[in-house]
Amino acid sequence: MNVVKKLFKAREISSFLCLLAMFLLVGLVNPSFLKPQNIMLCFNGSIVYILIAVGMAFVILTGEIDCSIGAQLGLAAAVCATFLKNEAPWGVAILLALLVGLVCGTINGFGVTVLHIPSIIMTLGTNGIYRGLIYVYTQGKWVENLPAGFKGLAQTNIFGNLCWFFVMDLVIMLLVFLYLRKTRHGKRFAAVGDNEMGADLIGIPVARTKMLAFIICGAFSALGAVLYVSRVGFVTAISGNGYEMKAIAACVIGGISLSGGVGTVAGATIGGIIMASISRLLVFLKISSDYDNTITGILLIAIVVIDSLAQRRSVEKARRERLAARVTETEGGADHE
Amino acid sequence: MNNFGKTMKSKLLSWEMLLVVVLVLEIIIFGQINPRFLRINVLMGSINDFISICVISLFVTFVMITGGIDIQAGSIIGLTSITVGMLWQDKGLNIWVAAIFAIVVGLLCGLLSGFFVAYTGVQPMVVTLGGSFLYSGLALAVVNMSSSEAYEGIGGFPESFMKLSSGNVAGIPNQLIIFIALIIISYILLHKTKYGRYVFLCGVNPSASEYSGIRVKPIIMSTYGLSGMSASIAGLILTSYLGSAKSDLGATYTLPIITAVVLGGTSNTGGKGGVIGTAIAAVVIGILKFGLNMSGMPSQYLDIPVGILLIVVLTFRMTSSNPAVVAKFKKLTGKK
Amino acid sequence: MQKVETEALLKIKDIRKSFGSNEVLKGINLELNEGEVVALIGGNGAGKSTLMKIIMGIYQQDAGDLFIHGVKTDLSKSSLALANGIYLVPQEPMLFPNMTVEENIAMGFNENKIEMHKKIVDMIAHLGWDLKLDRRANTLSIAEQQLVEILKGLLRESRILIFDEPTSSLSFNEAESLFELIEDLKKKNIGIFYITHRLSEVFEIATHVAIMRDGIVSLSGAVSEFDKSHLVKALLPPGSELKTAGESTAVDYSKAKPMLELKDFSGYGFSGLNFEVYPGEILGVAGVVGAGRTEFATTIFGMDKVKGGKVLLDGEDITGMGTRKVLDKGINYVPEDRFLNGIFKIRETGWNISSAQLRNMSKIFLNKKAEKELADKYINDFRIKVTSQDQLMGSLSGGNQQKAVIARALSTNPKVVILDEPTRGIDAGARGDVYSIIGKLKQQGVAVLLISSDLEEIVELSDRAISMYQGRINHTFPKEKIDLDNLTAASFGVYEEGE
Repeated sequence: MNVVKKLFKAREISSFLCLLAMFLLVGLVNPSFLKPQNIMLCFNGSIVYILIAVGMAFVILTGEIDCSIGAQLGLAAAVCATFLKNEAPWGVAILLALLVGLVCGTINGFGVTVLHIPSIIMTLGTNGIYRGLIYVYTQGKWVENLPAGFKGLAQTNIFGNLCWFFVMDLVIMLLVFLYLRKTRHGKRFAAVGDNEMGADLIGIPVARTKMLAFIICGAFSALGAVLYVSRVGFVTAISGNGYEMKAIAACVIGGISLSGGVGTVAGATIGGIIMASISRLLVFLKISSDYDNTITGILLIAIVVIDSLAQRRSVEKARRERLAARVTETEGGADHE
Repeated sequence: MNNFGKTMKSKLLSWEMLLVVVLVLEIIIFGQINPRFLRINVLMGSINDFISICVISLFVTFVMITGGIDIQAGSIIGLTSITVGMLWQDKGLNIWVAAIFAIVVGLLCGLLSGFFVAYTGVQPMVVTLGGSFLYSGLALAVVNMSSSEAYEGIGGFPESFMKLSSGNVAGIPNQLIIFIALIIISYILLHKTKYGRYVFLCGVNPSASEYSGIRVKPIIMSTYGLSGMSASIAGLILTSYLGSAKSDLGATYTLPIITAVVLGGTSNTGGKGGVIGTAIAAVVIGILKFGLNMSGMPSQYLDIPVGILLIVVLTFRMTSSNPAVVAKFKKLTGKK
Repeated sequence: MQKVETEALLKIKDIRKSFGSNEVLKGINLELNEGEVVALIGGNGAGKSTLMKIIMGIYQQDAGDLFIHGVKTDLSKSSLALANGIYLVPQEPMLFPNMTVEENIAMGFNENKIEMHKKIVDMIAHLGWDLKLDRRANTLSIAEQQLVEILKGLLRESRILIFDEPTSSLSFNEAESLFELIEDLKKKNIGIFYITHRLSEVFEIATHVAIMRDGIVSLSGAVSEFDKSHLVKALLPPGSELKTAGESTAVDYSKAKPMLELKDFSGYGFSGLNFEVYPGEILGVAGVVGAGRTEFATTIFGMDKVKGGKVLLDGEDITGMGTRKVLDKGINYVPEDRFLNGIFKIRETGWNISSAQLRNMSKIFLNKKAEKELADKYINDFRIKVTSQDQLMGSLSGGNQQKAVIARALSTNPKVVILDEPTRGIDAGARGDVYSIIGKLKQQGVAVLLISSDLEEIVELSDRAISMYQGRINHTFPKEKIDLDNLTAASFGVYEEGE
């Protein structure tokens, strides 16, 4: 029993060890990779991924999925950048971006909880719609020449060259972590994903919880969009393309089970850092960063397959133990397997 | 109640009829907006724009009938395209040998993902997500092996290969012929063979299938192989049509493919559906995009109507099959 | 106020509920008072669960009202039901598998953590249970999970507890301790609805009994007013009698060669089984749920690993073969759980019947003609009520679904048929049909293994019977020794030879 408990606790720990192992291995080949400066650059590269992975974690915890956050991020970024460019106050631009995220998330949540459309299909559809709206909104043009001050935010470092956004991400993650693990309200998300019927039976509002998860996910995509605008400095119609896949991969690599109910945002954060670091790792290994996707794909499949097999084994073992326990041991032919 | 079976069947038939009606309406409306649209060669030639979606969605139908989903087909298109180009240019293989080789690659990619889905119990969504990363990454790796630059693509294919997309037989474009041939093949495979029946049964109830002596896992695995193979065929046609092999072809096809399958009447939970519906739905979507484009809508906007279509169709289907949803909806909108 | 006190704890008044055109509850009236245990019995589809789910706020009634202490109360949501002190201990435990026992219990409570912890610990100590709070729910046995569910109900200080077939997944000892617990709850003036399929339990723990049949309460009152035969009568539709397989011909064992032989057969959930079944013989297998009956059958059928011993079919060793091979060799199995392992709900009846025989009828292409003939044959022979073989399985009644599943099993022309709970949850008419099918099989010389919790069925049909207890065969009965008392005693491990 203790082993199982440890295994459970180890979910995000093992992701962390995976991250550590990756860094150390690359460090063996190329020691300059392990310089603090460089590691901080890996962290800086993950500031957007962490936010969208944390947002995605809400949805996945409830057992659903959101394939539209790439486009949500793009749309929110386009809105934010356009207003910044037109010299709107930063606060207004950021709030509008958040509003976009909230509206997008609400639409997704509505489709899933009220219209009962499977989330994967609903969000695949809205992904196309939101992406198309970016073209409509930007007329396919780049949004650039943003105020230098705003772009400077992402260049503002603390502790050497560690971007303060990264620290902000960690603080946000920590707060969310505490909310999800320690508060009664936050625990609902995992409960709904863990056993929907059971949650309903003890009075947890399942639909409302899922709705909320999509809305929060939208808000985090929008927040990610703000950081994206600051970091990248311009927005195109394909900004954020494929980020939904990266966020899902980050969650899965971070130990969040896609069947819901299992995992933490700490894991999602580690997953986000891993996702952001792979291309950098490759550079230091003197391998073309074109292999980024290949590595991600292998990592993703390997992790979920190992996880699923381990889980299956433990379930099967428990079943067999239970069955074996029912058999009385009498003198003839009783075996201890 | 007693006629339930029959009405379901006629309902399904009428669903396909409805799609045909929608298709005809589309053609009439777009023809009004832009008379050039009605020219037979324009209309038939339009298939060039959406043949890939038609071809792949036929076989993704198989996957979705087993209750799965396949979002990796797009990346297999790119992998196929660059593989055939590389084999032809760098390895000097005959173009058709290279093409067959590329189809085998697509099949293997599909089977690999299918293996993980069937034998490890990981959700199809995650496996094919990993697959889409992996195969698009492999496509880039193939580019690295090749002597040419990724962004240029590989061109200059022989005439015979170019004919694959540009030629015609008795005025009917080759692409259309390929599409029709694949419809017939997939129809027979799904609806007339034992294999096809097993695909359905595995989708309805895998456990009951096991108890009926059906080998569920290989069946499920094979459907992903089929969809991988179809993605390769689409990749070949697309390469021939564009005249150049590229690694990033087909990256945006997931939405229209899934939309075509769902719009065609295949249940997203498995066990129901058919390729005829998918085929018509794919054309409906293709014509919609083509027509809107010809009517002046920029091509980048076209995912909006497709996405809306997907959601509307599913809303319609979910509400009609689930009275609780209707009640909830009424409550929400404040009627009655 | 004084008056309110005298009103029933819960009064169910004229509750009606339909699903589509299917009227499940046709005006139910029932009362539950403090300290009462009302046993609700009735076949599947009688409406018991639906009624309980309405009380629990999972379903909403179409008509009728619920009164708590005489006050009309809205229980249209589970949160409302919970707030009114109602708690349903579900048949299948509904825990959060990835949470600990403590988290599971605390979920949905508003007390602070420390207080809650103390409450839980006190309660467990009071009950004298051995339950570790930091275990994850998915490491618990079903019985332990059920204990957690009961704890949840008790900690809510519920006034009304609903148990939905709680003993169906419990061992004998666990069931005993549950009964003690219920006695305890009675004394605490909690009102209890107790759904069960086992008549013996009614007399053991219930104070009142209500029998439901076809959406009505066909009998209710204090337990002391009735005996078993009253209850059995009320369960059957008016005017019906238990149908039998007709005059069964005795098996001549002297010349017979066994069709199926098990030698020291062991696997997960059973051990050291030895028995044989002869052609034209019906061998009844009695035993409580969990005694290893289904497990040995599915293991023969190639669904689980064999740990030891041998299975011989007509003298040929088929131990450890996969399902397809076993099917080809001539064994077929009608699964216990019809919905999970039996039917293809959203497909045609014809597809359902042909699914196992398909590969022998067609090489690559479907032979639709042969398929249709096969399905038509069984639909006629078994009197399966369908408009055509294209009717969807899900729209058939339970009895007709079961007949189709049996048809599927027989379509492969097996030499041995294993029927696992063939008449569970089907109506009396269909039951009679199934019995006559079994009778025909016997005449055709098929060896039949009949696994059933319905002991009367075994008494009625079997040529010989074995009983299983805790994974082993504890007794074998020749025809003349098969009666309800013997089988019941043996199933509970208390049979003594020479009785």
